[in-house]
Amino acid sequence: MLQAENLTKRYDDGVLALDSMSLEVKEGEIFCLLGANGAGKTTTINLFLNFIEPTEGRALINGIDVNKDPLDAKGYVSFVSENVMLYPNFTARQNLDYFAKLGGKSGLTKDDYYLCMSQVGLQEEAFESRLKNFSKGMRQKLGIAIAIIKDAPNILLDEPTSGLDPKAAAEFINTISTLREEGKSILMCTHDIFRAKEISDRVGIMKEGQLVMVRSSDEFTGENLEKIYLEYMREAVS
Amino acid sequence: MGNIIKKEILEYISSPKFVFTFLLCTILILLSVYTGINSYRAELREYNSAVALNRKNLETQPSYQALAGIGTKINKPPQVLSTIVTGVQDAVGRQASVNIAYDPNLIDSKYNSNPMFAVFGELDLALIIKIVLSLFAILFTYDAIAGERERGTLKLALSNRVPRDKLILGKAVGGFISLMVPFIVPFVMGLIILVIYPDVTLLKDDWMRIGLIFILFLLYLSVFFSLGLFISTRTGSSSTSLFILLFIWVTFIFIIPKGAVIAAREFNPIPSVHEVTAQKDAFLQEIQGSGQGLARDWMKENPGDGTPEYQDRFRAFLEELQQSLTDKIDAQNSALEEEHQAKRRKQQNLAMNLSRLSPASTMIFGAMRLGKTGINEHERFVNSIKTYKPVFTKWANSKMMATLNLSGQGEQPKPDISDMPMHEFKPESLRDSFAKALPDFVIMIMMIIVFLTGSFVSFLRYDVR
Repeated sequence: MLQAENLTKRYDDGVLALDSMSLEVKEGEIFCLLGANGAGKTTTINLFLNFIEPTEGRALINGIDVNKDPLDAKGYVSFVSENVMLYPNFTARQNLDYFAKLGGKSGLTKDDYYLCMSQVGLQEEAFESRLKNFSKGMRQKLGIAIAIIKDAPNILLDEPTSGLDPKAAAEFINTISTLREEGKSILMCTHDIFRAKEISDRVGIMKEGQLVMVRSSDEFTGENLEKIYLEYMREAVS
Repeated sequence: MGNIIKKEILEYISSPKFVFTFLLCTILILLSVYTGINSYRAELREYNSAVALNRKNLETQPSYQALAGIGTKINKPPQVLSTIVTGVQDAVGRQASVNIAYDPNLIDSKYNSNPMFAVFGELDLALIIKIVLSLFAILFTYDAIAGERERGTLKLALSNRVPRDKLILGKAVGGFISLMVPFIVPFVMGLIILVIYPDVTLLKDDWMRIGLIFILFLLYLSVFFSLGLFISTRTGSSSTSLFILLFIWVTFIFIIPKGAVIAAREFNPIPSVHEVTAQKDAFLQEIQGSGQGLARDWMKENPGDGTPEYQDRFRAFLEELQQSLTDKIDAQNSALEEEHQAKRRKQQNLAMNLSRLSPASTMIFGAMRLGKTGINEHERFVNSIKTYKPVFTKWANSKMMATLNLSGQGEQPKPDISDMPMHEFKPESLRDSFAKALPDFVIMIMMIIVFLTGSFVSFLRYDVR
């Protein structure tokens, strides 16, 4: 479970990047954070990963305060970034092997890695290919494979479908749905309203560091999420 | 941590820059050893023939007077470790004439005898390590942290239960091992070539010196490696890191060593060699004039009757006069020389100490000291010749006087050089060389500690976003 309690981040230059944000992502739930650039989505992820320290409040992973016990907390979370670059001279399996071991998974066989890569939709011929030959979609798939192989109960996704073609994005979303079915708590930051509507159990809209709206899938099924989002954004501009 | 080290090694080894580095290092190191060996063998041949020629020349002199005037030639033996560290030996003279009149000086440097060598310089291993491998050390590390940040792999790695100190230590160890491969493998190959080549004899002392020089090279590369790591943890982008590192590299390799020499010259000016030589020549003329005057006075006071007794008295007077004049010349020359040397040494020490701010200078000084090809060894050799000069002069004077033929009748006896004192030079012992090179080791170790500590501290607070 992922929890943010009154989470606030003000940078040294005075910029308030996140303002008293509170949220909870339950087991088997996908929570999508929507918002414009600079709304505070990535700051939220960075706070959960202890890459920055909160000014106030706390981020909890499986009940562990990330700021107090970062290493312990990181044992329960996987992360997929916007642009998975990885190591271009390594093969997909070598990349997976390295990050699996960093994630505490040792003793995995080649077959385990192959199975994991198949699960995310990577073609067999890509398993032993160097990453420099991979498309962005293939790299993103490998990124999610890295998250899967860690087998952490929580997953943080930062703009995972950005730059993917519709087919690759759809495959990616399918994989995420499977992970939800396995009971993972998933927090996804995205610009992609359509994917958010398609996959999320709850959606939060962020504006100027604040979580200004949270709706469950039941609530926005009959609504036009894009319209709601744009209305919030327009308010932000005015 | 084994996983991180393994990944670092694998990442470097599978990269094109490793292949390029390995190939270039192999070519350069082997080429340097090969040219070093050839150069040493040529020097050795020249040395042996010069020694034989000198002996023949001495033996064929018509008289002791002629021998004393021409003098004996002292040749500097080439150092076997010049195959690795050429040092100053190509720039300084290789031969000195020791005669009764002039102060001996080493002349006929390799660059002097063939200026083409000076145009291109010597491609020795120390130079390759100093310039090429230090640059590779930078190219290996400039993106160690900043590059991982740009690729997003740093974020991904640190999203796991991995302590930052462990991550940077693993990267440092793995990266260093990878950098050492393109250095150590060709270095060992070069040593094998050195061993199998004829005319190149390495004694136990030489092997120990090679071992110490090797450690010095490792430390030098570690300085640049840790510097690269440090700058990489201080910058957010690999291009900025590379730019800063190249700036520091140029400063270390070119600006500080040259600047130190210029600064020492400015702060501690000394009279030129020509001024000292002019002073010596003036004194020589003065003393020769006074000698002739004294001889004339003696002859006036002791009118000659040409008897053998008179000749014996005149010979005794001349021997005494000659010796006293030579002693005066030697004393004056050595006083001038000592004063000049003391000033030069002061300037030299200032330049060397200032330039030790650069690891390149530190490494070269240490390597030259251990390779017996440095300024100090040259000075020791020059001093040994200067010590030998009065010994030779005394022997030549006694022989000249013993065979002086005032009547001018009959032939002068041919010189017999079997009892001529020989010049001896004992190179600096390994213990002394190491003791003198120790500060260079310590300076580099200190630099490594500073840069590595800086890297660790910076990385613990590094913004991975």
